[in-house]
Amino acid sequence: MGGVPVAAGRQHERGAAPAPPPLHALPVAAALSRPVALAASRTLPVEDVLAPLLPEGGLRRGSVLAVDGATAATSVALALVGAASRRGSWVAALGMPRLGIVAAAQLGVDLERFVLVPLGGGQSGGAQSGGAQWPVVAAALLEGVEVLLLRLPGRVRAVDACRLVARARERGAVLVVVGDRPAWPEASDLTLTVEAARWEGLGCGHGYLQARLVDVTAVGRRGAARPRRARLWLPGSDGRVAAVLSDGAGRDALRPGVATLPVAGALPVAAAVGS
Amino acid sequence: MSGRTLVVWCPDWPATAAGFLVGVPAAVVAANRVVALTPAAREEGVVIGLRRREAQGRCPTLQVVAADPGRDARVFEPVVTAVEAFSPGVEISRPGLLGLATRGPSRYFGGDEELARQVAVAVDTVLGKLAAGAGGCRVGVADGRFAAGLAARVAGGGGPAGGGGPADEAGMPVSVRVVEPGESRTFLAPLPVTALPDPDLADLLVRLGLPCLGDLAALPAPAVLARFGTAGALAHRLASGLDPRPIAGRVPPPDLTVTAGFDPPADRVETAAFVARSLAAELHDRLGERGLSCTRVAVEAETEHGERLQRLWRHDGILTAAAIAERVRWQLDGWLAGGTTTAGLTFLRLIPDEVGPANGCQLGFWGGGAEDGGVARALARVQGLLGPEAVATARIGGGRNPGDMVHLVPWGDAPDDGDGKAGAGGVVGGVGPVGAAGVAGRPAAGSGGGATGSGGPWPGRLPGPAPAVVFIPPQPAAVRDADGAEPEVSGRGVLSSPPSAVKVGEGPWCPVEAWAGPWPVEERWWDGGRRQARLQVVAQGAAYLLARERGRWWVEAVYD
Repeated sequence: MGGVPVAAGRQHERGAAPAPPPLHALPVAAALSRPVALAASRTLPVEDVLAPLLPEGGLRRGSVLAVDGATAATSVALALVGAASRRGSWVAALGMPRLGIVAAAQLGVDLERFVLVPLGGGQSGGAQSGGAQWPVVAAALLEGVEVLLLRLPGRVRAVDACRLVARARERGAVLVVVGDRPAWPEASDLTLTVEAARWEGLGCGHGYLQARLVDVTAVGRRGAARPRRARLWLPGSDGRVAAVLSDGAGRDALRPGVATLPVAGALPVAAAVGS
Repeated sequence: MSGRTLVVWCPDWPATAAGFLVGVPAAVVAANRVVALTPAAREEGVVIGLRRREAQGRCPTLQVVAADPGRDARVFEPVVTAVEAFSPGVEISRPGLLGLATRGPSRYFGGDEELARQVAVAVDTVLGKLAAGAGGCRVGVADGRFAAGLAARVAGGGGPAGGGGPADEAGMPVSVRVVEPGESRTFLAPLPVTALPDPDLADLLVRLGLPCLGDLAALPAPAVLARFGTAGALAHRLASGLDPRPIAGRVPPPDLTVTAGFDPPADRVETAAFVARSLAAELHDRLGERGLSCTRVAVEAETEHGERLQRLWRHDGILTAAAIAERVRWQLDGWLAGGTTTAGLTFLRLIPDEVGPANGCQLGFWGGGAEDGGVARALARVQGLLGPEAVATARIGGGRNPGDMVHLVPWGDAPDDGDGKAGAGGVVGGVGPVGAAGVAGRPAAGSGGGATGSGGPWPGRLPGPAPAVVFIPPQPAAVRDADGAEPEVSGRGVLSSPPSAVKVGEGPWCPVEAWAGPWPVEERWWDGGRRQARLQVVAQGAAYLLARERGRWWVEAVYD
């Protein structure tokens, strides 16, 4: 920018014909004055820790993600949308009346742009009508919000799922389906599965829950066909998602006296974890 | 012009109501101060506001009775009935003082004097029945209530033209003072400003050298308003013999409601929405004519079967005609398609609920707020489908348990202070895990990461990450120890045996891998509050927050 007035001034000194408009400065000025939206328009940002799990390094607009796993599925979903929410995207949670709001805030979700539609958890009118109306509600929410967290109320008709996927693609929104995968009839673009989880800090009669190590695997279609794995602190000791510095270091840092991490895939399924 | 008003004043009413005769020194006492007294007591030197002991010191024969507003009102009832015989619409200021508009009755009874005399006789008869020798009432008639009240006060023997004039049939004098129409200002002029209802202002006026109401009325009204504000303007109006309220100042609020009927009843959304659109345009035009805008509109509909439906729609900015029409359409969609109604709509009405001046609405320079506008539209549509409470934003406030800390605010509602529910911070706190672990000097509260809610420290709040799934209300759980017995928590917060297996809801028993606690919480004990002891448990990789309350185990949250 600094060079533009100097060049113009020199031409005036020479007394030549009127100065040609400094066209080369226009893109600079436009770039400086334009809201920073275009660069990140295709993807929504995620936490740096989670970026290696996603093929595009962010949540691709118009895609459908499924978050699966016996434990920690809710935390993974919240951690995925936290960064986007802080950057100005609106996030809605549909059908999650038991969502821990404090946990959402700790995982980085900006509550100013976070909307809850409990769907049946409400007091008036939702119980009987909400269950059948959820596809309509989800479609209406996709009109406005950029990220929709969805916990399915039960079986989903293929036609509803198909319509929602099309709506998300059309609006450039991201649909995150939380919970059991088989209920979602459409193939999702990316499925994040929590393979194993272990809590830190709790002993037998002493301590308190401080942090959790999770192994997350991401498998999807097209560019994401090759599974990507990551070991994360989810949540870390401050409630946020954090990286395990390196595989070995993370394992070395484990304190003795707590349950060891099972081999991936051999984790016993806690069937009682419902939400 | 103020309305002619008749005021009946029964002096020292609390003393009369207590049954004391005029000649008996007696006083009515509230909070140890004299609030009313008989003329005999006044002659002995007792004044209102005196302490009881001092009043008794000045007049040793003083009879003292406690004040009882209920008794005052009860005994006054026959007086009111007697005056109501002349005209309905009697307005009671307080027991002992009532007013009556004289326009109709005075023509019927033959003039203000005659009416006032008859009222005074009627009231005196009632009072005489009440207690022989009780003090009589005083009646004043003037333009406006304030002047009439003062006329009634002056009507007693001391007044310049009071007493002696009219008399009842038996020749007994009655205390009546009638100020001729238009003479109120002249009548008020010599009276002291202390008669004004605002003692502070009266005090100030006296010190400024305006001891009489006439002095105040002589000042120009704008100057009084500028110097003394609204209270001064009101006093000026009173002193000038006008009504306290300027009559011309009140304009009845315009009726902005728009209504449409359907014949035949509309059972399809499209039919109703078509009419709704023109209704919305009409409402918007009416608002626009008056330079108003609407931020909240009520949609009201009635069906053929007489069902009445109403819902409020709020908008942060200003509801335009299109926005109103859109919302009405969503609402009708929700009602007709959602099965709320059993018949077609016969009637639709739009009521602007919150109306303010149209100040315009400024959008952000770079189209700021446009995306938020889309969100607002989408959420409003969902509210139309499910009801206004179905869409909520969350706020984190104070509290000890994860469920207590969250306040859900319906979308579009003004957020509360966020600490309303748990505002009464516990005096008796709880013991957090850090405290239990014996780490000195580190507060148990506040280490919960970003969840630093309002309302100061919350001892007993669990540190560390918050649970991602919170059960409101808590779900039943079962816990057993190694022997199969249920562990209990004693009143001193001691666990009877370590848990070895836990069962959540209808699920299977899961062996406990790690646990800690119990951490007791005792809150709001003054208000039927809560006593519980919490336990963190890891069973088969899942972490739970369990609570022992009301003699059984509950699962409060899952660290999902």
